[in-house]
Amino acid sequence: MSILSIQGLTKRYGKITAIEHLTLEVEKGMSFGILGPNGSGKTTTLGIVLGIIHSNAGEFQWFDGQYGQGHRRHIGALLETPNFYPYLNAVENLEIIAHIKKIASPRITPLLEMVNLYQRRHSPFRTYSLGMKQRLAIAAAMVGDPEVLIFDEPTNGLDPQGIAEVRQTLKEIAGMGKTIIMASHILDEVEKVCSHVAIIKNGKLLATGTVGAIISDDMVVEVGADDPASLGELLRKHPLVRQVEEKNGHLLLYLREEVSASTINRLAFEHGIALSHLRVVKKSLESEFLAITSRES
Amino acid sequence: MLTTKLKTNMFFLLKLEWKKLNKLTAFRIFIAFYLVLLPTLLLLGKRIPELPPPMMTNEVLFIFPTVWEWLAYVGNWLCFFFFGFLSIITITTEYSYRTMRQNIITGLSRKEYFLAKLYLLLAISTFATVYYTLCALLIGYFNTPAIYWHKVVQNAWFIPRYFLMCFGYMSFGALLGFWIKRTGIALFLYLSYIMFLESILRWGVHMQLWKHRSMHFYPMNAVEDLTPLPFTQMADEFLSSYGFSLFLSPVEAAVTTIVYSGIFLFLGYKLVQRADL
Repeated sequence: MSILSIQGLTKRYGKITAIEHLTLEVEKGMSFGILGPNGSGKTTTLGIVLGIIHSNAGEFQWFDGQYGQGHRRHIGALLETPNFYPYLNAVENLEIIAHIKKIASPRITPLLEMVNLYQRRHSPFRTYSLGMKQRLAIAAAMVGDPEVLIFDEPTNGLDPQGIAEVRQTLKEIAGMGKTIIMASHILDEVEKVCSHVAIIKNGKLLATGTVGAIISDDMVVEVGADDPASLGELLRKHPLVRQVEEKNGHLLLYLREEVSASTINRLAFEHGIALSHLRVVKKSLESEFLAITSRES
Repeated sequence: MLTTKLKTNMFFLLKLEWKKLNKLTAFRIFIAFYLVLLPTLLLLGKRIPELPPPMMTNEVLFIFPTVWEWLAYVGNWLCFFFFGFLSIITITTEYSYRTMRQNIITGLSRKEYFLAKLYLLLAISTFATVYYTLCALLIGYFNTPAIYWHKVVQNAWFIPRYFLMCFGYMSFGALLGFWIKRTGIALFLYLSYIMFLESILRWGVHMQLWKHRSMHFYPMNAVEDLTPLPFTQMADEFLSSYGFSLFLSPVEAAVTTIVYSGIFLFLGYKLVQRADL
């Protein structure tokens, strides 16, 4: 079943085109990552499909239209900053969310326990730290157990422990078979949580598909030698090496399959080159992402 | 069938507004001030037993049927301040907290969001009017030496006028709230428009303060004329020297207020529909 279908969505702010003819399809059960650098149109796209921003062209449909105008009551969303009534406490704020979603008996206590706010449930929202606000927003998105969850930069402003906790929560939600749509500029986050990904830049869709298909599984090895030119020449010819890049006087090897560091060392030594540097880099999502986004610009 | 649905939706939205407002300090203070000040300000008249002509004695303030007029005049000031302010604050704070945006993301349609505010204005105006009626009846009952039913109800048409007056102020405040979105500036504009901008506008259009009775048909002047200062003799003097009445007739004021409130709320609705949040 289609959860969200976006067709040719366009949004202009004066002369600036925030998103241009964007087409996306999100199916039930996917955890769908929207990946792009800051200002690429992620939040604008989510803002449009959540009804708070008007588009200039194109259309979108939720749940194949089965809930009509009330579709947002079946979606839990956290968009940018958490927005709550500052003079109300956590429980009262979540009760307002539940009221709008028309949920008769919201299970607020377990939600607050899940995000670790139960102890502070009677403090006004304005007294919360940034991390607590963010966690309350995650709890708010889950009020009423919605079919779809939307998170925009969910780990923004959290400390490392908070980031780990939120990611764990997101993975658990995905494991429950819920559909997740997550926007992020952090690749690592998308890779850890999502099954599918769309990469956008300057409002244009650059690539979309499963995470495995989009972000290749190359192994990256950093090598150095006294004579980098001949080392480069040697390695470029090798069948396992897909690409060689120079970086800070070292060479970055993108290997088609995993090989041990000693294999590379032996190869160089056999050709009379002594390596001065050899380091296995974890496959570089960051550089892959940068490569995709810079190719198109 | 349709009316049941409408009623359900109205109570659903009013309950939502109540959840938002009942802990808001400004809301509690404004309501408390209104409840205390409406009877108190009128009863302060007891301290001034001798009044200048044409009234001579303070008893007209408290007896049927004139208690309706005097209490309505006091209420006019209170509604202008407290409920006009409240109308602005309940709307602008939802912009500054970005909770209007969140309400819509959570599931309200823009129409529902607007209707919630409209129902709130209607509910507060009703509440203010019921309290006014109660106070007028009680003050009249305890101060009128001989109570005749026809005297009690002689000025009862002040009740719907009072409601419209309160609703008129609030719908003007609502438009400013939806339009300006910032509490401070919206409050400032609201106050200055009613206190002097409308007079300046009137002067700008007619080049004179009092020239023709058409100049009464400005929105806030009409709202004020719904429950004006009850100096009938002063008004008569004005009539003889300028050739037209100082105040709009109640029916004219009511119709003018309804038309303007309709326009203000329609514009507010359009602003809610159009805005990117």
